Amino acid sequence: MAKKDFTLKTLCNERVGDGVYKMVLKAGEDIGEIKGGQFIHIALPDKTHILRRPFCIADFSKEDRTVTVYYAIIGDGTKVLSRVKAGESVKALLPLGNGFTMKEEYRKVMLIGGGMGTAVLPAIPTAWADKEYYTFLGFAKKEKMIAINELTDRSKEIYVATDDGSYGRKGFVTEAIAENIERIDPDVIMVCGPEILYKVLKKTLEGYTDRTYISLEKRMGCGIGACLVCNCKIKSADGMKYLRACVDGPVFNMDEVMLDE
Amino acid sequence: MSDLKVNIAGVEFNNPIITASGTFGFGREYAEFYPLSALGGVCTKGLTNYVKLGNPYPRIAETPMGMINAVGLQNPGADAFIKNDAEWLKKQGTNVIANVAGNSIEDYCAIVEKISDVPYVDMIELNISCPNVKEGGMAFGVLPKSVEEITKNVKKYAKKPIIVKLSPNVANIKDNAKSAEAGGADAISLINTVSGMAIDWKKRRPILANVNGGLSGPCVKPIALKMVWDCYNAVKLPIIGLGGITSYEDVLEFMICGASAVEIGTANISDPMASYNIAKDLERYVADNDIDINLLVGSLITD
Repeated sequence: MAKKDFTLKTLCNERVGDGVYKMVLKAGEDIGEIKGGQFIHIALPDKTHILRRPFCIADFSKEDRTVTVYYAIIGDGTKVLSRVKAGESVKALLPLGNGFTMKEEYRKVMLIGGGMGTAVLPAIPTAWADKEYYTFLGFAKKEKMIAINELTDRSKEIYVATDDGSYGRKGFVTEAIAENIERIDPDVIMVCGPEILYKVLKKTLEGYTDRTYISLEKRMGCGIGACLVCNCKIKSADGMKYLRACVDGPVFNMDEVMLDE
Repeated sequence: MSDLKVNIAGVEFNNPIITASGTFGFGREYAEFYPLSALGGVCTKGLTNYVKLGNPYPRIAETPMGMINAVGLQNPGADAFIKNDAEWLKKQGTNVIANVAGNSIEDYCAIVEKISDVPYVDMIELNISCPNVKEGGMAFGVLPKSVEEITKNVKKYAKKPIIVKLSPNVANIKDNAKSAEAGGADAISLINTVSGMAIDWKKRRPILANVNGGLSGPCVKPIALKMVWDCYNAVKLPIIGLGGITSYEDVLEFMICGASAVEIGTANISDPMASYNIAKDLERYVADNDIDINLLVGSLITD
């Protein structure tokens, strides 16, 4: 199937927390096969913002031809997006990126989400329903939480921590991970969060990092691999190389990624 | 009779729509969206003699009606392009323009000589105006004297028509155009990106790792139109105009100011279908109005 720029109808676009929005979009035609960890590149419905905005596909339904995204209001672009009303259309490219790889032999899957990075997780059990999910989430506070209901329903065990203790355990989610990792002994670990979380997890997940896959968030241009602006620093035989988040990623093995930039 | 064909320095293009260097890779990503034969030509990502890693992240920042980039000519090297992409690209049924850059005059001559032997390349665009690399690039494109010198040297090794891509970050672009002409250029293209900065005031830091970058997109169109018109009145060379084109109306504006063809750059990044849609819209316009597009070139009325 030739790739195309889809016109999607907005089913809902509503505030679900402190500066956090949930948007559900519906296509008029088949949107193809979606994997957990892929993203959608949305054109803003005005002429002043010329770059699309990449958001991970938080959830999807092949039958209903819908995708869900969560986004935080960060700048002007997301403000413009938040003004899109139900019934209005947006243009978007999807599904983009490599997504996570789920192998047949994996049974126990650990999901780790930090803040808005949690948005990538619900699509994973949707894509691969026959696995056991152990989910660990960290947020700044209760009002910043997303996707809790979806993930609670789809997880065998779920742990939530907030920095201020307004929900779940007070502190960082990495503490709960450290206490449970050996007992769970996951076959694969899938993570999305800020880079600081990855740096901390490199220690917390010692012995497990080779089976840990992280999703990198980058400023992006075309989203299809041509413009080379979303460069990720990846280890290579002769030191380092740049790979593109949009087509070579956004998901990479934790051991391959050089986190210093 | 309606006609979309244009001729630049002896090379015939099916239509005046060419994709701009650095926004279109070697065409493969876009070929998944539409047949590249819909385009007059594809200008490749800037090529250097050796593999170039490019600048650290971040490389892009959005600005009002535009963007600033500093990719720093990341490319797999001319040999890799010749081996893996040149033949494939030509076989898509469009003209191939290889954009080349170097660190020294010898470097430019070497890559031009190498690319000249590639049968799948129709023209060579000399990038002497990239604002995002420390050496080379723009260092050769600022002073009219060095534009003439590099053009003259490169022409000794060129077996394909040479397009000199001009920088807008100069004192008087007419002088640079005249220098390219005096050096033996077969055509000129303009404008490359406008030097600029984007900052994050909360962090008091530039957004780009390179600090500076090149501004492009609709916000630079008025600058580009003026410079195309200036150059049209200064030299006899065919001009390829570029800078913020997003519609067929923009194409007509550039042609009326003196461009024989245009390049579409940033619009490809906003919308992968942009160049295709512009080419189709232009085709429809020309057919509906039964005009030869070449008659529009330089037809601006200023009295």
